[in-house]
Amino acid sequence: MSAQIPETSRLRGLMLVAGREIRVRGLAKSNIISLIVTVVIVGVLAALPTIIGGGDDEDAKIGLTGATAPAMQAQLEAMGGFDITVYDSAADAEKAVADEDVEAAVADGALYSRDGVANDVETQIDSAWQAASVQTNLANAGLSDQEIAGALTVQPLEFVTLESGGASGPLDYFTGLIISIIMFMMLMTPVQYIAMGVVEEKSSRIVEILLTSLKPWQLLGGKVIGLGVISLVNLVAMVAVGLGVTAATGMLGDLPPGTASAAVSTIGWWLIALVLFGTLAGGVGSLVSRQEEAGSVLTPLIMSLTLSYLGAIFLLNAPTSTFAKVLSIVPPFSAIAMPTRMAVADVPAWQIALAIGLLVVAAAGALALGAQLYKRSVLYTGSRLKLKEALRRAA
Amino acid sequence: MLEIKDLHKRFGDTVALDGVSLTAAPGEVVGFVGANGAGKTTTMRIAMGVLAADSGRIVYDGAPLDVAARRRFGYMPSERGLYPKMKTAEQIAYFGELHGMSRAEARRSAAALLEQLNLTERAGDFVQDLSLGNQQRVQLAVSLVHDPEALILDEPFSGLDPIAVDVMGTALKDRAADGAPVIFSSHQLDLIERLCDSVVIIGNGKIIAAGSVEELKAKEVKQLRVCVQTAQDLTGAFPGTVTRDGDDYLVEDADDQEVLRIAAAAGRVTHFAYDQPTIAEIFREAVTR
Repeated sequence: MSAQIPETSRLRGLMLVAGREIRVRGLAKSNIISLIVTVVIVGVLAALPTIIGGGDDEDAKIGLTGATAPAMQAQLEAMGGFDITVYDSAADAEKAVADEDVEAAVADGALYSRDGVANDVETQIDSAWQAASVQTNLANAGLSDQEIAGALTVQPLEFVTLESGGASGPLDYFTGLIISIIMFMMLMTPVQYIAMGVVEEKSSRIVEILLTSLKPWQLLGGKVIGLGVISLVNLVAMVAVGLGVTAATGMLGDLPPGTASAAVSTIGWWLIALVLFGTLAGGVGSLVSRQEEAGSVLTPLIMSLTLSYLGAIFLLNAPTSTFAKVLSIVPPFSAIAMPTRMAVADVPAWQIALAIGLLVVAAAGALALGAQLYKRSVLYTGSRLKLKEALRRAA
Repeated sequence: MLEIKDLHKRFGDTVALDGVSLTAAPGEVVGFVGANGAGKTTTMRIAMGVLAADSGRIVYDGAPLDVAARRRFGYMPSERGLYPKMKTAEQIAYFGELHGMSRAEARRSAAALLEQLNLTERAGDFVQDLSLGNQQRVQLAVSLVHDPEALILDEPFSGLDPIAVDVMGTALKDRAADGAPVIFSSHQLDLIERLCDSVVIIGNGKIIAAGSVEELKAKEVKQLRVCVQTAQDLTGAFPGTVTRDGDDYLVEDADDQEVLRIAAAAGRVTHFAYDQPTIAEIFREAVTR
């Protein structure tokens, strides 16, 4: 007889299933291609500000002439990004523009250009012109350089917010929006793939062979883990490229503070929500035997996910409303609503704790329900099983 | 020793199994025969633990068959199933791993089986791109990849081409020679006759006949076939019930030595033997009884 084959440990079975999902689905050409496309889009989007402001890389060539020229040159050089040529006369400057030696020229209070200048360049030249004119006027009025410098120095406005947790800044709004979109996508995709995978195994009857060496919970759990890992890897790739490009173009400093901690806590929320939605998706997926029927049993799940997302978007505009408070505590909506709300408003710790507690309880319930549904109906073939029937069936 | 003991199973109002018992000793190849819907698949699914019996037990080597022991079994369900979008070699090796092999072992075993089944050049293709016959071969490889110590195969020969039938037959014999109990169902009764040590016939959820091939044949033997070169009609001369089958006389319920004496006296006896029924005839007889 053949040598004793070591028993597959429970964990190994689970990991084998997860590993297969990752290899077959994660490394599938379609997934790789869609990931590459997404990553390229993210990369381009991240680089877009730099690409559009392309002139930033190359200094704008500006010609100057007239009495204000020295003051303007000092102003523009202080701003940076300008390559300045001083001409003797307005005619020379105008000719330089016409010959394309410079992009624009300031002469006698006029801005010469061939067909207009970029907005930001115009703004800078304009403010330099104003400052230089004031400076020149003040100097003509007999003020010393020091007095002029003193007169021109203005403290920028300081922002003071009286109500903390009140109206959120546009940056917080943006963070909240990103969190809700990512949470939605990161749940929707695995939920659909888990259900599809369950139906595939059921419709191809392969589940009958699988269940001779695996327990139903290993098969279901492995799917949730495998597709979770794929989603996470896709997200990490996108974020890494996004951040990488932003860092490479020197705009990383603009990220709102607390981004890292928000990202970590969002992943925590996502993990609990994945257990909740993923196991339910597997459970309801096992009710049907054909791929075409999968959509109908998934509808309630997709609906509650979509509602959670829409609720979170609504919440962004009214983070302190009762609706926002309730939505961010009641599962399954809290999975998306709470991390979104946390991004735009200060949430009392007890509410966060309550939301986590309720979501964990809901996820545990979903795990039990989904696993039971799956166990009872995965070998049943034929027409779609009614939920009640499935629950009544002996496991 | 694999023992299936007194299985009962109902589906709603339908009684699928009504006290099914069968045994496969180490090294014994058991053919499981029955009409469609007789209960073969249900019995095998229960034996493999994918279906629960209402009552009854599966005992392997004296202990109730558990998941750990089942994992060392090879199983081919009647409804064939493979992952369509998984590569052939990868898929076979995956099942090897599920059955407890290390990744390296599983890959080696998968490669060896593919070689044996003439599928080596399709190793990297998706299963869905293979012909149906080749998919069947992959299915066979999946059930054999972990060098199983017992085999339960539901219609393993259906849909196989002659080469795959030979491979499958050899595989069954090899496993049995290693001491594995083998149970398989088939409608191809010539294969059953060729491969099996014993046969179990099931009808309407009950075992209606079981035993070694010789035993079953002996039990069914009733007719003496006699051919005599003579002008006489011996129909009235022989004792017992006599019928004609062409030139042959078929004699039942008679003393064979007396029949021989009468035949020899009448002319030259060119054939004198009991008809050996084929398994097919035994099956028909058992099912219609």
